[in-house]
Amino acid sequence: MDDNHIVEIRDLVKRYPVGGGHFTALRDVTTDVAVGEFTGLVGPSGSGKTTLLNIIGGLDAPSEGSVTVLDMPLGGKNHKQLAHLRRRGIGFIFQTFNLLPVYTVFENVEFPLLLLGMPTGDRKKAVDQALEWVDLTDKVKSRPAQLSGGECQRVAIARAIVKKPKLIIADEPTANLDAKNSHNIMGLLVNLNRELSTSFIFATHDEKVMGYLSRIVHLVDGCIEQEEHVESPKYWERK
Amino acid sequence: MLLFKLALKNLLGAGTRTWLNVAVTSFSFVLIVFMSGFYQGFLEYAQQVTLETEVAGGAYWHPAYDPDDPFTLDEAHGVPPDPVSRQLAAGNAMPILLTQGSIYPEGRMMPVMVKGIPPDQNIVTLPTAVLGEYTGTAIPVLIGAGMANSAQLEEGDVFTVRWRDVHGTYDADEAEVISIMRVENPGVDMGQLWLPLEKLQDMLEMPGEATYVVAASGAELLADIGEWQPKPVIFFMQEYLDVIEMKSSNAKVLYAVLLAMAAMGIFNSQVLSIFRRRKEIGTLMALGMIRSRVVALFTAEGGMNSVLAFILGAIWGGPLLFFVGTKGIPLPYDPTEFGVIMAPRLIGVYGVSMILGTTLLVAVIVTLVSYIPARKIAKLKPTEALTGRSN
Repeated sequence: MDDNHIVEIRDLVKRYPVGGGHFTALRDVTTDVAVGEFTGLVGPSGSGKTTLLNIIGGLDAPSEGSVTVLDMPLGGKNHKQLAHLRRRGIGFIFQTFNLLPVYTVFENVEFPLLLLGMPTGDRKKAVDQALEWVDLTDKVKSRPAQLSGGECQRVAIARAIVKKPKLIIADEPTANLDAKNSHNIMGLLVNLNRELSTSFIFATHDEKVMGYLSRIVHLVDGCIEQEEHVESPKYWERK
Repeated sequence: MLLFKLALKNLLGAGTRTWLNVAVTSFSFVLIVFMSGFYQGFLEYAQQVTLETEVAGGAYWHPAYDPDDPFTLDEAHGVPPDPVSRQLAAGNAMPILLTQGSIYPEGRMMPVMVKGIPPDQNIVTLPTAVLGEYTGTAIPVLIGAGMANSAQLEEGDVFTVRWRDVHGTYDADEAEVISIMRVENPGVDMGQLWLPLEKLQDMLEMPGEATYVVAASGAELLADIGEWQPKPVIFFMQEYLDVIEMKSSNAKVLYAVLLAMAAMGIFNSQVLSIFRRRKEIGTLMALGMIRSRVVALFTAEGGMNSVLAFILGAIWGGPLLFFVGTKGIPLPYDPTEFGVIMAPRLIGVYGVSMILGTTLLVAVIVTLVSYIPARKIAKLKPTEALTGRSN
């Protein structure tokens, strides 16, 4: 694996059984994601964005081809090894936030660190810092039901970055937010990308998100149609 | 420890759903302990009463005596063997003589078992001393309240009693009820007349003879006594224990129903959790929690349910069980009419082992029914869980 690459995908095919046959969600996908890249998988619904994200995140397995994430080839790995990869090296941001409803903001952000077995003092410091990044220090004791959509997504971001993973996977992170909140969230992620050198992979068809991406991978019907590098993302200077 | 904290947080965070489950489980738990205690109390009381009023320290039976066959009574009498006689002389045993008879209270005929007992005995707790105080001309008779009730006899009533002596000759005389004893053991009450032993020996022309001899509690039960048969305490109690065991089996069905109620509540709740919390489960997996820990988390939630149920049960059931264990519950009917040994107040006996045993049983069952649906979670793919689909 190239030292500069955090993700390498070669000849990836993903099929799902449907009735007697199967549906091919991804076909012959070959691409790389470099360290610190702000990459977006862009395409219409059903183009395979989420499937590709799930495979990169070790949540789903490829039918053919190879995927290497953080120097770990995912082929043949059992669920424990994949869980270990996610726990150590990957942060997830979901479209519907997926916060744990009975936990407070602090506890939601703290959760990945609990799974890592981090000592209490270090854990508190890391959670405080993550909440500072997303500007939610005044909501630590609130529960998800007491927060707005934008605030929930900021909690989800704090949860994803709190362990300072090398890779963050975000599936339609702004789909449930209004324009103002979308720009706030994306601006926040850009800053984190710059400060922590964290690589981001987005799945999106949101024009606003596309304006932040440094690299765009266009997916159509499960194939990569086009890849483009953006020298000066539209909204970067604003932040 | 992490799983414990997470499970507790999830459980308490679930609010009403948790407390409904806990309430049902605690109700079942307390009811099982409550009922078990009654059976235990019933058993202990029955054993105590049987020992005090009938069995004492065991018995020596005449070789022909068979309590299940009344026809053996014609032959089942004799002078006790020497070793037993020495115990009798030392006051460590008392002879009992039995015969069949009939009574005719107000013209009605009732078959009875006529029993001769030394009035001055102190081997069993029957109030036989009154038999020795009688100065009238009739045969003095002591009967139990159950017998008095069924024969409609009262103290002072005189009635005809008929018996057959050692030669097979029928004889009859007037008997007088000199006392009615309230005794909770129907084995010494129903259908029985208690007479002074010497009087009965005279009536039957069996001087110095007995059908069986009751040893005093704590006295040595002699083994080598010739043809007479020593019968230890356990021999008498075994039959009774078998009856209790049979009744306990019925009680176990009730426990099973109660446990099933609690288990179904938890099971239902856990299955619902799978469907309601599958996105949460997917999130846990995406964040890096391995499947076995997810199963353990949900199982721990179920297990903690039983712990909370135990605590809740202790809060509301503790005082109730204490009251029942000390004051008891009065019976709404006369225990002498019941046909089995019943205390006037039912007092539960709640031992530590019984409570701990029930607690453990409830905890194991509740944890088990939590594990089964939790195991289903382990088969859920993270992507399916995240999108809200299940296998």
